[in-house]
Amino acid sequence: LFPGVRQAQWLTKTKLVEGLPPAVQGIMDNPALGLQELEERAKHAVSHARLWDTAQVAPRREQYCPVLFENLIHICRLMSGKYPSLSKRMLARNCRIAATWERESILLQVRGLSGILMNSMTPIPPVASKEEILATKEHVLETFYPIAPTIDLQEVNVYKELNDRGFRDGYPYSHPHTLFFLESANVRTDRFRPEQLRAKMLMFAFGNALAKAKALHGDDPKVLEQPVVVQSVGTDGQLFQFMVFQLNTTDLVSNDGIKNLVWIDSDQNLYEKAQCVPEVKKRVVTKPAGISGFQPDTFKKFLALYLHGTV
Amino acid sequence: MAALGARRLLRPGRRWFSETVPGAPSPPTSPLYPPVVASVTAKSKAAKSRRLQRFNQRVHAAATVEEKLRLYGKLQRPKYTVYPQTFALNADRWYRSFTKTVLVPGMPPRAAAAKPPVAAAGTTSEPGRAPEPGAEAPGAAEAPGAAEAPEVAKTVEPAGGAAPCLDMGELRSLACDALLQESFYQKKKRPFLYHDQDHTPGPFLTQLVSTLAALLSGRNPLLAASSLDLNPEVNYYWHHGEEVVVHGHRKGRVDPVRFQIDDSPHLQIRVPKQLPEVVPLESDLGDVPVIDHKPSKLPLFKKQYENKVFIGSKVADPCCYGHTQFHLLPDKLKRERFIRERIEDQIEVVYRSNGIASLFAWTAAQAMYQGFWSEADVTRPFVSQAVVTDGKYFAFFCYQLNTLALTAQTIKNNPRKNICWGTDSKPLYDVVEDGNVKGFNDEVLLQLVRFLLNRPKEL
Repeated sequence: LFPGVRQAQWLTKTKLVEGLPPAVQGIMDNPALGLQELEERAKHAVSHARLWDTAQVAPRREQYCPVLFENLIHICRLMSGKYPSLSKRMLARNCRIAATWERESILLQVRGLSGILMNSMTPIPPVASKEEILATKEHVLETFYPIAPTIDLQEVNVYKELNDRGFRDGYPYSHPHTLFFLESANVRTDRFRPEQLRAKMLMFAFGNALAKAKALHGDDPKVLEQPVVVQSVGTDGQLFQFMVFQLNTTDLVSNDGIKNLVWIDSDQNLYEKAQCVPEVKKRVVTKPAGISGFQPDTFKKFLALYLHGTV
Repeated sequence: MAALGARRLLRPGRRWFSETVPGAPSPPTSPLYPPVVASVTAKSKAAKSRRLQRFNQRVHAAATVEEKLRLYGKLQRPKYTVYPQTFALNADRWYRSFTKTVLVPGMPPRAAAAKPPVAAAGTTSEPGRAPEPGAEAPGAAEAPGAAEAPEVAKTVEPAGGAAPCLDMGELRSLACDALLQESFYQKKKRPFLYHDQDHTPGPFLTQLVSTLAALLSGRNPLLAASSLDLNPEVNYYWHHGEEVVVHGHRKGRVDPVRFQIDDSPHLQIRVPKQLPEVVPLESDLGDVPVIDHKPSKLPLFKKQYENKVFIGSKVADPCCYGHTQFHLLPDKLKRERFIRERIEDQIEVVYRSNGIASLFAWTAAQAMYQGFWSEADVTRPFVSQAVVTDGKYFAFFCYQLNTLALTAQTIKNNPRKNICWGTDSKPLYDVVEDGNVKGFNDEVLLQLVRFLLNRPKEL
């Protein structure tokens, strides 16, 4: 998918809010989590992924991006020593998602491998209050006249309108919690730009939420009393994009009415530079080896999104 | 030579100075002539030993561990590549002789403190017995899980202030969930040809270990500080024995036999503190098999490439000791193939050779990261654990490295042997049908949990 976030917003009938929702901010500011010593571990995780993981001098992005992700998830998972309900989560890799919806008489669908998905047994409680949901009624979606909103989308003949979560019925971890996207191609042109990555995250989060909503409430388009919340994190090894998507309605044909909500926190750097070999100019070490410019806030946001729903 | 010549010159000098007092003049504090040693460049045995000594001194004097490793593996010559996962017949005997390892069947006797009290059955929970870890110790060399306390369990309360019991029901449901998700619930395409192991058992193992480790990190603070690697690389290079070079421009020279292990376990847990020793450093628990043939008869082939020593991350990583490795056997070595070719006894050999080779490489590389090498032998034993599985059958191994001195010179006066405890492979479950796991084996899960809970005594 190559559309920007604005196009994705129109396609999914969503209103954008900058920054993370207050519930997640609350988890971040909670001092009981002991985030100070976790910073040290996060720094080690970054150093391991970027510097120490390989027998060669420096690992390539295809190697360090997934390793960094695994290390961060490992640190987050170890928190389940403190919060036992965190163990009710399962990671699923390479899961396929399919969701179909109509948007002003254009049939759209999202299909394909949606990265790494984390499922949990309990759903995330709705993030926006009722008033905010009702307030989205007044919000007008941007249109990009004269460009059609479906520009750059692949037109495909579909024979089955499929809504599939990727798992069979009876799966105990039935609520999609967070989606993770790793842009780990070595060549820069193969990777998504941050804007496109955000759009991709939005589309897949919407697809997952829609499939879940249709599985829960049936195929008829309607406003949901219990909004479905799906989170999403995308990274290329250094920049992180965080997103919380709340599906308020499956009535997507018309342009007015209640809209869905998305909170996006974009372009968070986890660290500035990872120097594998010290840079030496004229026999003087100008840049020592190691990670410079580590931002603990980005890791805190990652952890807060992970813990959201159980804490 | 130089000394004789000097004496001949001195004699006429003495006739010169015959008037002087024959009392010894004040002897020079340092010798007048350099010490008489063998040449460095000659083609003689003395010169070769002198070169070896100079090399040893260089490695001893290296400032950092990276420099030591670089000098240790600097010279590249053809070496045998030892594959831990191999189809060679009776490979585990050969590998034991290469690494000077004694194989002890069963699991090592656990110290009383390390044994977690596990649930007794509902009726028989005598309060005085349940928290007594000593009474529940499995004893030496028993099959895993063969404890007096029955394992078919739900929660139980320990009497007294012992650590809270493990909830077998919860652990079992976690394992079953991971298994079902990978094999049943998640919709996947059909596995690619000969890639069955990547389709279901691989993800299942990853899920199981990561969730179990996270759950048990509350009990084991070592796990809480651990580092989990997926598909890491573990390499080790060593010399053992001697041979004569057969052909080439170096024909006829006596060379050490070089080996290299390049292993990639499926999953590996590294920790910042070392696991405690199981038996003292100098213990002798058996015999190392002696094989009279050349290693190439195994079959083992020679290749020349970079001599790497690597535990999974570089020396600068604080988590430099190993805890547990998890190995997944590839499709080539599946049980049905051995049964079809009527060599069923080799099934266990596959597990054992994988355990011994991988663990030797890992523990030896850890020891080298601490500065020990074949001339500077280890002063404390290095212990690591491994689980070898093909998705359904699990075999558990525990390795204690007591000695790195395996070269022809250092092995002569070295009574120490490395020890490997290993079990036979047991199934974790019988079959998965329709969303149910049939025939789940709690003992295997319990052994896995015990492995993960292993920690130094101070913690």
